[in-house]
Amino acid sequence: MKNNMKGLLLVLSLLLGLIINDKMNAQNTNIRGFVDIGASLENDKLSFEFGEYDLFITSELSDHISFLGETVFKYNDEEESFEVGVERVIVNYNYKGNHSLLIGKQHTPINYWNASYHHGRVFFPTVGRPLLFEANFIPLHTTGIALQGLNLGKLRFGYNLLVGNGLGSGELKDNDKYKSLTAAFHIIPVDRMQIGVSFYNDVISEGAEIHGTHGGLIQEKTNQQLYTASFAYFGSRFEVLAEGTSLNNHTDSTGDHHALATYAYAGVRFKEKWIPYVRLDYLNFDDTESYLDNEDTKSFIGGLRFELNYLTVVKLEYQYVDRDDIGSNNKLTFQVAIGF
Amino acid sequence: MKRTIFILGFFLVLLPSFVNAQDTALNVIGNEKSVPQSMNMNQLKAVLRGEKLRWNDGAKVSLALMKTNTEVGTRTCEKLYNMTGNELNKYFLALVFQGKVKAPTFFNSIQELEAYVAQTPGAIGVVENTDKELLNFILVDGKKQI
Repeated sequence: MKNNMKGLLLVLSLLLGLIINDKMNAQNTNIRGFVDIGASLENDKLSFEFGEYDLFITSELSDHISFLGETVFKYNDEEESFEVGVERVIVNYNYKGNHSLLIGKQHTPINYWNASYHHGRVFFPTVGRPLLFEANFIPLHTTGIALQGLNLGKLRFGYNLLVGNGLGSGELKDNDKYKSLTAAFHIIPVDRMQIGVSFYNDVISEGAEIHGTHGGLIQEKTNQQLYTASFAYFGSRFEVLAEGTSLNNHTDSTGDHHALATYAYAGVRFKEKWIPYVRLDYLNFDDTESYLDNEDTKSFIGGLRFELNYLTVVKLEYQYVDRDDIGSNNKLTFQVAIGF
Repeated sequence: MKRTIFILGFFLVLLPSFVNAQDTALNVIGNEKSVPQSMNMNQLKAVLRGEKLRWNDGAKVSLALMKTNTEVGTRTCEKLYNMTGNELNKYFLALVFQGKVKAPTFFNSIQELEAYVAQTPGAIGVVENTDKELLNFILVDGKKQI
């Protein structure tokens, strides 16, 4: 305990020293926002929808220090009221060249989608996120400290090493002594293309509450590893985004449980603004999986995106989903996503 | 006489394309502090894409561009980014949203851009082809015009 305290004080002193010595500039703050509205037709019922209202703030605090905050307001159907979610709060210390130290709550840089699109649906190539997000396959957020490097060398190598409060933790403190570790690496071999891999490791304590997982309460200490590979290419004509995550949950009493989540998106741009697209999703779980809802799922999406400009995007999308337990379902969705 | 008319005609045909080439040329200018006096085209494009956060002396890179709906802005997008104005705006909005770069400062007038670059250490900008003596031109592949 004493050693932890000493370490914390040392890190805080170091940061304070860096901040004091940094050249202070006039503060430059920008506020942007994203919102989406739409309608869906499902089971012969038409519904109009209000999506997420995303407020995004960046601020240059000094020559080396900047701030980024993202807050989302969205309607909670169960509570029948709007709720506020602080999605990202990041203090960035750009200590040398393209290397930075990031502290705060961030989107876990496990895959391309989670590290790129966040809550700005105007950037999403499809109406919604891939199904692996809905299945709580990956930890979306991590509060912690990260080392980040970007565009290094000819291959434009990038890294992100993040240590944070693991799954089951709240916003204020960790629920156990274990820390999660995310190690993500990528290269940009040619313009508009990114290839990446990542590894995530966490120990989830017995009794931890994990939103959306099987039963919500973890029955036994679980060691979790995620291995992810990503390929993204958004050219002026063709677009491809494919990602896959392999998950292994281990408990002492039941051993290893594997699961796989993948999706592949492809689109072709016509006349600058029109992009017809398809997306395939596939989720597969061991029958013995106890951490996640082990419901094998397949999905097909076909849609048309119209980019009026970079701040206004309209999408019309058909989705067919086949789940092991619930069965199949069809849905037609219309969405207008804007940035302002 | 026929020969003279032929030569004159030949130059008259070439003249519009020559004038056009002069008009579409761009210059790169930089603040006298921190910004190197010369670079190659690949280095310039990497800087303008926001891939270099700091110059070699540690000063922060600040990008100054004409708005994408201006003539010089459109030419900058085509020549140096291989993008449309819309694509460029989306590109930088996405990078800022990811917390990876500070957005370029966009200007309506060349004069404002030139003043910003002159006053901001580490600033680099793209302007139309000019012979103004006070500007600090950056040579790209050994040439002033790109």
